[in-house]
Amino acid sequence: MSEIDTSKTSMSREEQKAYQARQKHRAAILAGLLFFLVVLFYLITFVKINASIS
Amino acid sequence: MTIASTSTHNLASALDLFALTKPRVMSLVIFTAICGLLAAPGSIHPVIGFTAILAISLGAGASAALNQWYEHDIDAVMKRTAKRPLPAGRMDRETALHFGIGLSVFSVLLMGVAVNWLSAVVLAFAIFFYAVVYTIWLKRNTPQNIVIGGAAGAFPPLIGWAAVTGDITLMPILLFAIIFFWTPPHFWALALFVNSDYSKAGVPMMPVVAGRQSTRKQIFGYSLILAICAIAPFVLGMTGAVYGVSAIVLSLVFCLLSLRVGLSKTEDPAAMKAEKQLFSFSILYLFTLFGALIIDRMLIA
Repeated sequence: MSEIDTSKTSMSREEQKAYQARQKHRAAILAGLLFFLVVLFYLITFVKINASIS
Repeated sequence: MTIASTSTHNLASALDLFALTKPRVMSLVIFTAICGLLAAPGSIHPVIGFTAILAISLGAGASAALNQWYEHDIDAVMKRTAKRPLPAGRMDRETALHFGIGLSVFSVLLMGVAVNWLSAVVLAFAIFFYAVVYTIWLKRNTPQNIVIGGAAGAFPPLIGWAAVTGDITLMPILLFAIIFFWTPPHFWALALFVNSDYSKAGVPMMPVVAGRQSTRKQIFGYSLILAICAIAPFVLGMTGAVYGVSAIVLSLVFCLLSLRVGLSKTEDPAAMKAEKQLFSFSILYLFTLFGALIIDRMLIA
């Protein structure tokens, strides 16, 4: 690795806006997925513990 | 080498990541996995059953992402696939690779921890088979790519069954065989009328290598083996009459359509009515056959 490709790193104002909007959208979806997984793992644990007791 | 950043400009959208999992193919995977799960003797807690289907779906999505990561060059040449996220330039290859590997590991671990380790091992093997054996090894090297690679798509009902019972018996192997022998007639029928696209991409599909007439004969041959596999569960007393009658009728239609393809001699893709009919019916065939299996099981239960 040597230098930074400046031609590709600079973004116009519109590009930056679009990039941030996309980033925000991805973050929101990821948060939703994480919440879903938390609930799923809670339920799995609940089922597994119940099965081992009975 | 430069520290660049195509990735800052090409940040993949969530929609493109979803497209990477081939959602349309996944619907068939989910359906056959649910059928395997419901057809298995015994019961499974709904939460664990849901988790098993989720893990199978994620595994299928992961192998599809790895497939698109490796085949970006072929996809760019073919009209049908040119608009996918990688060839269209909406995502860089590294993202697809990381997404595919991450999803693979997660799906196998989820299956192992929440369901059982036998189904997790079969799922891991299915992902490996599709991503490495089919995509990397077979697809560009042999016209038998579809035949052997078809095994990858045949795993979901087997995994669904193993998720419930923790073992693999003759019935899930027959479900595997049905999808395995269904794959060549299904894909070759498609390859016959989109032949030019595959040859342009340099993929040695059977019609390109062996010619259309040889492919047509093989389609009919595989249809006969498929019919035997589809009817076998009924003949062996593993299913009831609903499945038996459905399997006989559907297989008869499938064989007749394949025979029409076998007798066809047309070289013009636009005039390949028999091939197009067989391709459309093959999708209906699989959904209806597996649907009948579930109805049959429910009636017996």
